[in-house]
Parts: sequence; structure tokens; C-alpha cells
Amino acid sequence: MNRRRMLQALVTAVGLLIILILTLTAFGLPVMDSLKLIYQGAFGDKFALSRTAVKSTPLLLAGLGMVVAWRGGMYNIGGEGQFIVGGLFGGIVAKLLMAGPSLPPVLGISFILVGSVIGGALWASLSAVLYIKRGVEVVISTILLNFVAIQLLSWAVEGPLQQAKHQLPQTDELPGSLMLWRPNAQLDFHAGVLLAPLVAIAMYVLLYKTVLGFRIRLVGANSRAARASRVEPRTTQFQALAISGALCGLAGGVEYTGMAGLLGTDFSQGWGFMAIPVALLGGLHPVGTIFSALFFGAVFAGSENLGRFTTSGSTLLYVIQAAAVFALVGFRALNARSPMPATPEAA
Amino acid sequence: MLVAVHITKRFGDLIALDDVSIDFTPGEIHAVLGENGAGKSTFMNILAGFLTPSSGKVLLDGSEMPFRPRRSRGRGVEMVHQHFKLVPAFTVAENLALARLDRLGKRLNVADASEPALRAARGLGWDLDPKALVRNLSVGAQQRVEILKCLSGDAKVIIFDEPTAVLAPDEVRELFRVLRELTRQEKTVILIAHKLSEVMAVADRVTVLRQGEKVASARISEVNESMLARWMVGDMPALRRPDRFAVKAVALLAKNLKVQGDRDEEIIRGVDLKINEGEILGIGGVDGNGQVELAETLALIRPRKSGTLDWKSKGLESMSISISYIPQDRQVDGLAMSLTVRENLLISGQRRGELRLGAFWRSGVVRDWVRAVVEKFDIRIESPATVVSNLSGGNQQKVVVGRNLDRRPDLLVAVNPTRGLDVKATRFVHDQILKARQEGAAVALFSSDLDELAALSDRRLFLSRGMLVEGGIAELVGGSP
Repeated sequence: MNRRRMLQALVTAVGLLIILILTLTAFGLPVMDSLKLIYQGAFGDKFALSRTAVKSTPLLLAGLGMVVAWRGGMYNIGGEGQFIVGGLFGGIVAKLLMAGPSLPPVLGISFILVGSVIGGALWASLSAVLYIKRGVEVVISTILLNFVAIQLLSWAVEGPLQQAKHQLPQTDELPGSLMLWRPNAQLDFHAGVLLAPLVAIAMYVLLYKTVLGFRIRLVGANSRAARASRVEPRTTQFQALAISGALCGLAGGVEYTGMAGLLGTDFSQGWGFMAIPVALLGGLHPVGTIFSALFFGAVFAGSENLGRFTTSGSTLLYVIQAAAVFALVGFRALNARSPMPATPEAA
Repeated sequence: MLVAVHITKRFGDLIALDDVSIDFTPGEIHAVLGENGAGKSTFMNILAGFLTPSSGKVLLDGSEMPFRPRRSRGRGVEMVHQHFKLVPAFTVAENLALARLDRLGKRLNVADASEPALRAARGLGWDLDPKALVRNLSVGAQQRVEILKCLSGDAKVIIFDEPTAVLAPDEVRELFRVLRELTRQEKTVILIAHKLSEVMAVADRVTVLRQGEKVASARISEVNESMLARWMVGDMPALRRPDRFAVKAVALLAKNLKVQGDRDEEIIRGVDLKINEGEILGIGGVDGNGQVELAETLALIRPRKSGTLDWKSKGLESMSISISYIPQDRQVDGLAMSLTVRENLLISGQRRGELRLGAFWRSGVVRDWVRAVVEKFDIRIESPATVVSNLSGGNQQKVVVGRNLDRRPDLLVAVNPTRGLDVKATRFVHDQILKARQEGAAVALFSSDLDELAALSDRRLFLSRGMLVEGGIAELVGGSP
């Protein structure tokens, strides 16, 4: 059983490689040199490794959000919106902090991150309330709220949150004291990279060691069975989606205080969307998601490096990322197609 | 003539079928009888081409059959599945057309493709609206559509997989009439069953499987029910119904209950009932008269529109009593099929204080508790981490029953708790319900199986269009209980 899984993962990796080679050929690039650039960009030196790590971080946090929601049968497609609102709430808290008396940095950053968590949770709760009270499909409301969040951010950075100079549509930069700790100033590697796996472990504990997590998985697996045993599905569904939003919000907050340092209209580069394939490739399991986030982080870092050396630049980057998603879809199809292990009547 | 020759099927180490040979004669109803896990379904799936045997072959009129479902169908071997393969959002005609994709053509000529099946329907005296949506049909009518799909081609052999499991008594009679009609058309009818009375009533010939082996094959005139039962399960003691629990205080009292169904219609229209401690109140009637809704109301799952529900003269909601609920359909309401046995047991375990430490599970205590329930209820699994969908129906029901009855509930509500179970598993569930009663539980047993009501209940009421009516078993089955 497990060997079969491994084999399929191998097939996926080979498939990804083939798609990659085809893509590079189509762009008229030297295949071997390009692959080398991708590899070096992801793993080549400590700079590359650091980039892979910081790119994996928002993917992991938001991916965990997807895991919790999807396990609970709430198909949250709104990671992007929750990520953005998380950043936005963090930005509001930061603005207040910068106006007020200075706090110890740890406390200040904590306030920002808590703000992000609350922002993401609130944004997801909107969809949860719409679903529970009005039966609006979660898929639809979360998708639409993504666009609302994007507009909200644009408005905020051109309005109340705009930089003091009022020149660009973005916020002021965070002072160094409100940025996440970096062990090496040369590298992007920040404390959030260490936080994310801890959150993953916490989510594993939540889902598999607590009663709430059990209820989330039960409601996701069969909400009617939950109801018949007097577990109110709606309460649990609300909780699952709120936690999911909180994690996506946290991803936004960590990206804001760890990497971006300011909020602009291009604050999220699709992290919340990419979180979905990350979670799916991770088997909707918190630990699996750590690995798939690393994988996607490496693809991002590697393709960015390639982009730096070719004229095709960012276009190629998206093509390669899309190729990775396709390989993943193929993997899942492979999983579904291969004959089910026949279940004998007797157990 | 369909002949299975020395069929053996292994799944890993497990031998599901061991050298089984059976001849099926046209114009006969041949019942294949056996407990859950006896290998019936495996055998039928091989006949219909869904599974390839490890060794052995299947011959139809002397030529070897392929083990490919589409090609089997092309040769005239059809199967009526227990769990219907219908598209609920399609009309009857569209579902029938699906069975004849070859006739459907590029322009989706549904009328043309469904015509042979509809002609067959008229031949059987069935009045089906081809434009009705399948999801609006009763279970019995859905089964007719399923049967008609098999008759749309040139079927020689039709396999019925436990067709009566989902039917009400009058629907069963109609099904049997149709089975006989099919044999008159010289078709081979194979009936998978585990209800002895039904086999005796309709079959011409019977083959019994036990643990993957063919025990015996005989003409129905040569056997009786107790012989078949012995072949199926070996010797079994008779069900002993212990004397009633001594104290007879009124436990549950419902007055003028009114309840809404899923479509906001008033499905329970004023029900009064009382159940004493240590008493089984049997509630019978044809499915769809509000049984599930009333059961859910008594188990505090469905809110009531009006009326009172008291436990020992206080509001049921306000009492912290333990209520166990065994829902009618284990796969729909009872189990989370993708979760493990352990997790499915924990569905009731989450209300157990001793299994929890605040928000966390006490993993050691949970492990011991799960092991104890598995042992006590004889759930046959490799490990508690086995996913429930891999279990046989009987074992699945044991998970539901086990988690509800491992400790005596104050109130037990059960709806058709033995539906689809074999003799042994049925007996097991009955024993457990009687045990709960003996220990003083108040039991509301909803069942459309009159034999079950007669065997278990102390008093009986019948639910008809949302109202309870008094009734004896006698007048309903036309005999003494």
C-alpha cells in the first residue's frame, strides 16, 4: 500500500520533470542549463535555501488553513482573501502601534500577528455565517470575498493606511523593531519560517488528538452521522472555517512582518490560491503539508532564479508553477484511476 | 445455461471463494444464500464480470465468459445492484437510456434508447412515468427502474443482489411476481439473499455458501427453513426473550407531538406515546410514514414543532440521561465511512467524560475502551485503525450498535436496526436490544419487519401517515404472532 504511494509520488516527480523539459523546450531554452538554474535557485547555496524556506512559509500556513477547512467539509477557496485581510488587520495594528508609545518588539509583533489572525478568522466567518444562516455555498462566497478583500486592500492603501508621503498606493514601511527576527541580516530567513512547522504540529494535535478536531473530521466525513449522534454540524463547520481563516490570516501577517514590511496592492502573490494545491498534495494532512509546502516553495524559488537569467522572466515562472500543479493533478488522477484494492466481503 | 466452474477467489491471504461450482438453469429462480461474508457478493461480482477469479471460469451456453462488466452485459448477463446505480437528477427515461448507450446515439435520442425498457415495463404491468425524476421516486419504484435497465437489452441472466433489503412487504410481493414472470420468459434469475422465508417463498433452487465454500445445493422442495439455517450458520440456540424488567415506571411520555419533515411538511401529526422502563415499544408501518422523523424527535436530533416530550415527568431536554440512537441507514446516518473503526466508535465516545481530558483525548483510555468494545461486540477487524468502509455490513452494524450499547442507555431509539444483516448478525443485534431492555432501558424500536416487531416488542403501535394506530401483529400478517 505504502509502496504504491511512493511509486506514484515518483511517477509524479518524473511527470513534473517531463512537463518541465517540454516547457523549457517550448520557450526555446537550453534544457540542462535551465534545470540547473532552477535547482540552484532552490537548493544551490544558503541564499537559495533561505528563499525556498521563506516561500514555503506562507504556503504552509495557508495550506494548513485549507487542511482544517477541507477536512471539515468546508471547501474554502478564499485563502487569498483571508490572507489579504490578515495582512490588512496587521497593517491597522501596526499603524496604531507606530502612532502610540513604543512597546517591546516581541509584544508589538505579537499584537500585529494576533490582529492578522483575527482578521483572517473574521473574513472566513462571513462565509461561514452566510452558509449556516442562508445556505450560501462556501465555495462561492469564499471566492467572491477574495475579490472584495483585494478591493478593500486597494482602498485602504490609497486611503486610511497610505504612507505619510501620500505618493504610492502603499503603507509606510514597518520599522525594524516590528519586523520578525532574522538570524542573518543577509538572508531572508525569518522567525516565521520556524513558526510555521510549529503551527503544523499544533494543527496535527488539533485534528487528531482533540475532541474538536475529531468533530471537524467527523462532520467533514459525514455530517449526517454527526447530526445523528447529536453533534451539531453547523457549529463545527463554523469553527473549522474560522480556524482556517485564522491560519490564512496568520500567513498574511507573517508575510507582512517577515518579508514584505509594507502593504501594497500586490501584497499577496497568489499565496492563498496556491495553498489549495499545497494542501491537496499534502494529502490534507498537516505533516504532509509541511513537505508539499517545501516542494512548492522550492519550485517558486527555483523558477524565480531561472526568471532572473532569461528574458521570458516571470511568464515562465508561472508556467512552471502551473506545470507543478498539473503534475499534481495527474498524481491524483493516477490515485483515483488505479484499481481500488478489492475489498473482500469478510473483514 | 450459466455455469460457474471451480471458482476460487483470493484477496491477499483471505480466500473469499474456495472452488465453488454452480449450474444456473434458464427458467429457474436460483437463490444463493449465505451470511454476510460468506462470499455471495464476490461470487456475483465474478458472474457479472466485475471481478476476475483467481482460478476457474464461467460458461454461458458453453462458451467462456469474459471478466469485463460491459462485455458480460453484451452477452446478456445483467445485475440489479443492491445500492442502485441510478442518477437521481435524471428522469426515468434518461436513466433507462443510460443502460443503452449504444442506442443513445450522438443526438441523445433518449426516447429511442429508453423504449425497449419502457416496453418491458408495460409487459410487466408497471405504470412508470418516463419523465419523473428518479430522486422523487419511492425506493420500490427506483428498484423497478434498476430492473428495467437490465431488461432493455437481450438479457439471458439477471442477478439480483439482495433486492428485498430495501423494500416494504407489499413491494416484496410485487418483486416476487416479477421474478416469476421473468422465469416464464426463460430467463435465468439469480437471487442473492439471506432471508430464509423469502428464499422458501420464491426460489426454485437454492445454493448455500458458508465462508467461501459451497455447503449444499438443492431443489427448494427438498429443504425447509431450519435446514437452510443450519447450512448457513451451523447450529444456533433459539432467541430467548427474557421476562420483563420488574419495575414498570413510565419513562418516556410524549403528548401531541407534531414534527416537520425535511421539506417543511408536517410529517408527524399529533402522536401520543409512552414507554416504560424496561419495555420495548415496537413501532411498525410501511416506510415513509414518519418513522425516521419520529425516531429522530425522540432521540432529540430533530426539533419538534409542538407537543411535549417528558422523561419521568420532566422535560426530556432538561434531563441528563443517556440516549442511544441506532439510525436506519448505517452508511448514511450511522457511520463516517472514510474514518476508522476507532473513530466511528468515538462518535459516542466524545460524550464520555473518562475518555477526555478537557479538549483532549486520553489516548491510553481511548485505546483500552475501543479494544473493549471491539471485543465485547465481536467486531471482526484487523485493527481499530481499519477504515469502516472495508468492513462487511454485519461488522459495520456492530460498530453502530457497539458504540450505542456498550453501556446501558436510559433511552434507546432504534430504526430498522437489522436491515440488510444476516441471520447471525440479526440475532446479535436482537440480543443486545433485549439486554438493554432487561437492564431497564426504555426502548423505541421502529421496524418495518413484522417478524422483528413480533419477536422483540412488548407493545406495538403502527405509524400511518404521521399518526399512531393501535394494532396487533396478527391482523397485519394474517396469522398469530
